[in-house]
Amino acid sequence: MKITRRGFSLALGAGVAMPAVLRSALGQSNTLKLGMVLPVTGPGADSGKYALTGAKIALDRVNKAGGVLSRQVELVTEDDQTTNPGAVLAFSKLAAQPDIVAFLGSIRSTQNHAMAPDILKTAKPVCFGGTDPQLTKLGNPWLFRFRPNDSYSGRVIAAYGAETLAKKNWAIVHSTDAFGTSGGKALTESLGKFGAKVALDQGYPNQSQDFTAVVLAIKQSGADVIGSYFTFDNDLAIFARQLRQLGVTIPWVGSPSITVANALKLGGAALYGTYGVADYAEESSPEAKEFAALYRKVAKTEPDNYGSWTYDAIGVLSAAINKAGSTDPNKIRDAILATKGYKGAEGEYNFDQYGDGLHGYNILRNEKGKMVFDKHIEFND
Amino acid sequence: MSFILQLLFTGIGIGAVYALVALGFVLIFRATNVVNFAQGEFSMVAAFLMVVCAVDLELPYWLSFLIALGGMALVGAIFNLGVYYPLRHRTFLPVIISTIGASIFLANTTLAIYGPQPQVLPGWFETPGFQVGPVYLDSQYLLIIAVTVVLVGFQYWFFEHTLIGKKLQATSQDKEMASLLGIPVARMIMITFIYSALIGGIAGILVAPILFVSIQMGSSIALKAFAATIIGGFGDVAGAIIGGLALGIIETFGAAYISVPYKDGFAFFVLILFLIFRPQGIFGERVAEKA
Repeated sequence: MKITRRGFSLALGAGVAMPAVLRSALGQSNTLKLGMVLPVTGPGADSGKYALTGAKIALDRVNKAGGVLSRQVELVTEDDQTTNPGAVLAFSKLAAQPDIVAFLGSIRSTQNHAMAPDILKTAKPVCFGGTDPQLTKLGNPWLFRFRPNDSYSGRVIAAYGAETLAKKNWAIVHSTDAFGTSGGKALTESLGKFGAKVALDQGYPNQSQDFTAVVLAIKQSGADVIGSYFTFDNDLAIFARQLRQLGVTIPWVGSPSITVANALKLGGAALYGTYGVADYAEESSPEAKEFAALYRKVAKTEPDNYGSWTYDAIGVLSAAINKAGSTDPNKIRDAILATKGYKGAEGEYNFDQYGDGLHGYNILRNEKGKMVFDKHIEFND
Repeated sequence: MSFILQLLFTGIGIGAVYALVALGFVLIFRATNVVNFAQGEFSMVAAFLMVVCAVDLELPYWLSFLIALGGMALVGAIFNLGVYYPLRHRTFLPVIISTIGASIFLANTTLAIYGPQPQVLPGWFETPGFQVGPVYLDSQYLLIIAVTVVLVGFQYWFFEHTLIGKKLQATSQDKEMASLLGIPVARMIMITFIYSALIGGIAGILVAPILFVSIQMGSSIALKAFAATIIGGFGDVAGAIIGGLALGIIETFGAAYISVPYKDGFAFFVLILFLIFRPQGIFGERVAEKA
């Protein structure tokens, strides 16, 4: 048989179009689809696993209760490879599927920034966990945050360190990505209001193998307390160990990464006695306790914010779609923004005009490897 | 002064890790004239094997170490048969691409088997370190430095003073001529891959208690080790060691005195300077001179 160029082109075109043709020929599936961008590979792959576990627990619960708009809910996932280009690619793959009604984005602010222009073009709600305050101030109406932002974490870290611990001379250590930089900035601004000063503002690149220079800089600065924004658990654990080895014993109040299960495992005794702000704390509410019990049933690790925000996001999103009574993106958006008093694992969701659902943090204390709930600080603005 | 001494110790420790991985690069380059971009993954696989034996199965540390090394010898042999041998008559480019593919394969296979969570591997010593005057000496870094010194000595003796080492060198310089002289070229290359997997594995096992065991642990070290190999002079054992140590010290001091965020940049800035002004590295000969 002779293969002509035209014949070859037709066959190639048919081959490429076949999946789409088959999908429509077989009819739309009756499930309601939600897309989820998560790290399956790369340095954040562990957090992706926890995030998926949290989302699946919520999904199971929603489906057992009858689903959304009388349809079972299905989660379609794409690997972001823990990189910005990976996140953009993952989101565009999901966005190309017209039957996905809403999405779960990343817990990493820098990846949400990278995806934001595509999210704006797609014009469908995206629930995310990144804590850079700017993300909900970009003028992008489709971004909804399911963790308290770092303007709150900065205020809580500053308040706890400067007032409760009475420490006024701070060393701030933060990663140089969008999350760490904005967190460090938020903490610096908050410290000024408490009359505390910043003796050292030290950024570091993610996936550092050595923190000797950072620890020595802390020692030389004469700081009496450390405030930190670490993006990756292994960086935090290496820093913690070198901090103790080089004899630095001043109090340390960290962003939520200091409280997560993986950091506790890797950092071990080097993290004993530290304080952390955390959106998720098991003892903070009956809903948080309920999530912990459900999570432990299916996962081998302790529950933390990686799983709790996706659990809440699925819960809020499902309730919002039901309330909207439609999969129209604008109606879902309005329903999410109208969500008030939803009690989730992370706290009570009261969405503001910007798309921020939570407005407070818990303070936890590391007592020999166990995170103990101290108090919750809520803000009205 | 204590500040400088502390930085120097850490720089040498980190540099020794780069040097160990760079040794593996050098070995394979000398034998096959190609760069093995999966060298970092050898370190990662060995560290995971240690976690399986020493942590999950709770076997004695020394036994776990021997099993991990046995596993790495097998990985090296399979790597040679699957990644290098089928392409041995091709130019260096397909082989390099093949090693990059193998690196991705090893990383993702480990991810699929073991999952994404970083693991903790206890150190060799009960005491994590000790204070000598104003300087804290991490016992794991001391061990890494000692092992690097021993392996460098062994490698020098092996290549320069043993018949098999000379056969390996002859194979590296001219495979056809070596074959005509009766040297079993395929066997020599097999030995090189096994030895190189073992060295990469030892580096991974030694560094795991400091950097934890994760899928990415190999690639981040290997990139610096590759830079160290170029700085030292590709194919030169002493060059790899000096390049590794220099890189470790430069980035540690650069972080302390210039900028922490640009720490990784210093290593690659030095690399670029070398590529422009001395592409043959510190100890390398110009290609024309070597020919």
